[in-house]
Amino acid sequence: MVFAWTMVVIVLAFIACLFEDLESDEGSQSNPNSQVQLAPEMGYIHRYYNKAISGEGLSYALACTIAGTVAWAMLSKGITPVIAIPFGAGIGSLVHMIRATIPHLGRESAHKRFEQPIYLDVLFGHLVPIATHNFMAVVCITAIAYIQSPSGPLAAITGLPVAANNPFPLPLLCFIWGITVGAIGSSTGDIHYGTERLFQDRPFGEGRRVVYHGQICRYADCGIRTSKDVVAFCAKYGGPATGLTFGLIVLFENWRTLIGMMAGGLTGASLNPGVAAGVGIVIGLIIGAVLIVGNLYLVKWARKKFGPFVGE
Amino acid sequence: MGEEEKAEEKPEEKEKFTLHFPNENNLAIIAVIAGVIVSILPVLPAFVKGIGAILVILWGADSVRKTARYGLGTGVPSIGVLAMGYGIVGGVTGIVIGSVPALGGGGIVEPGVLVGVAAVGVVGYISGILANNEKFIGMKIPGLERGMAELGMAGALAVIIESSMIAGTWNAAVVIPEIIENGLIALIFILAAFGMLQPYNSCLGADERRGRTLLVSVEIGGLNCIILGVLASLIQGMAQGVPLIALGAITWVLFYSAYVRACLNEAHSVVGTGLIKTMR
Repeated sequence: MVFAWTMVVIVLAFIACLFEDLESDEGSQSNPNSQVQLAPEMGYIHRYYNKAISGEGLSYALACTIAGTVAWAMLSKGITPVIAIPFGAGIGSLVHMIRATIPHLGRESAHKRFEQPIYLDVLFGHLVPIATHNFMAVVCITAIAYIQSPSGPLAAITGLPVAANNPFPLPLLCFIWGITVGAIGSSTGDIHYGTERLFQDRPFGEGRRVVYHGQICRYADCGIRTSKDVVAFCAKYGGPATGLTFGLIVLFENWRTLIGMMAGGLTGASLNPGVAAGVGIVIGLIIGAVLIVGNLYLVKWARKKFGPFVGE
Repeated sequence: MGEEEKAEEKPEEKEKFTLHFPNENNLAIIAVIAGVIVSILPVLPAFVKGIGAILVILWGADSVRKTARYGLGTGVPSIGVLAMGYGIVGGVTGIVIGSVPALGGGGIVEPGVLVGVAAVGVVGYISGILANNEKFIGMKIPGLERGMAELGMAGALAVIIESSMIAGTWNAAVVIPEIIENGLIALIFILAAFGMLQPYNSCLGADERRGRTLLVSVEIGGLNCIILGVLASLIQGMAQGVPLIALGAITWVLFYSAYVRACLNEAHSVVGTGLIKTMR
């Protein structure tokens, strides 16, 4: 039963981070935003959406915490989670959408001397996609937090040791998961967006020299590119890869902990926390070592196949 | 009480795009006076505390702008989170110390809470010295010491005021079960942090203007009042919550529309749609 709920959490984490990455590409949030911000200063007037709310971790912490708080308040009034969680996520996404209007207006009007206009169709056309992608991510994160929270289904499974239930309430879990999903989406997904879309005319793998900064691709396959075109492209590879990263992190982390707890005995006389922690740590070290070796091999193979790169 | 109401109404009267916020020193003085009055008098109604919270967050946003203006760029959100990190430490310290009956805890005026605010101000000042001094990190950012002290104090005041907005008091016997164990402290953290970090992060650029940036902070303060008002009406009842929601809604509508109009007026041009300028 615990493994089944863990699988649910992993699948939800996969979907959440997939949509989180696509939502951040929707408005060039986080790392690639510095290039979008720099482009008009280099004379490259563009039609991208400039969504510099804050880092992805913090903006998702905001949306998820509001969603979690609203869901918590509704749950405490006896409303069923099937209604409370989507309603809370809807409020969170609404606040996120309001926050997303501020930076596009503010940063583009701060580019006055570089003659960057505010395109109203860019502003209005991106708001609904931002809110909907954000809703998908936030509803999954709120559901994960509800499953794990003291009032959730995981805590109701009998026979588990007390240590398996965490003491964190729903809003705090949403906050932690929101920061985490934003951090993974920022570190993994942005690379695909930044190199493959903003700098698609530069050779792969050489890094971005300072002379290229701000010189982003502004034309799409047909016409002028907006951030919506980027999402359609990133949905094929960057988003799923980011979701897979987050899903695998949650999978490996929970799997090793659960195996350790099984080995250490769950309750009664067989309960041995030392064995549980030890087995979990050893399995974690093995997983880490396998991942490091695999990644080194992958990088070597890729460099041999696609290199040598300019400047190497 | 006079100060914060004056500062609250001053921008609303003019309403146009050129709001005259007080300069950095005056804004700090107004916000400190308002924040101190509101935090040592927990008997005040929630919407008065809401005005205090808006002013304190505005001060924090101004400090973030002051600190981050010297080329921090992507570090702007980190400064806001740092402020609220100080704020949680200082606020909880102040709440616990202020609840001691010997320091006025439980009375009408409860000045003990200011110990935490002052302590975190000193810690912030020391960390500013450590960051700026060449013997240690040597960042040499002008005014960093003052900025860090202000950020810590604004964060601590924001935590204290927002806690007492939700729970009706910041007494530790109430705040620990109602705010901290419920996890609402995470909401307080992120709402106040956004009021401080988002304005400058969202408006920075070559033609950034202080008056326009600070409008965003007041707007976020209004949004915070709406969300906190819903929670206050759950915990304290409608009489406290509904005026707070009304204050938040009015502030949000006024300042959001003022900000949007200011941006549209001050941009290079506003077009419905259009092609981009071809390369030079």
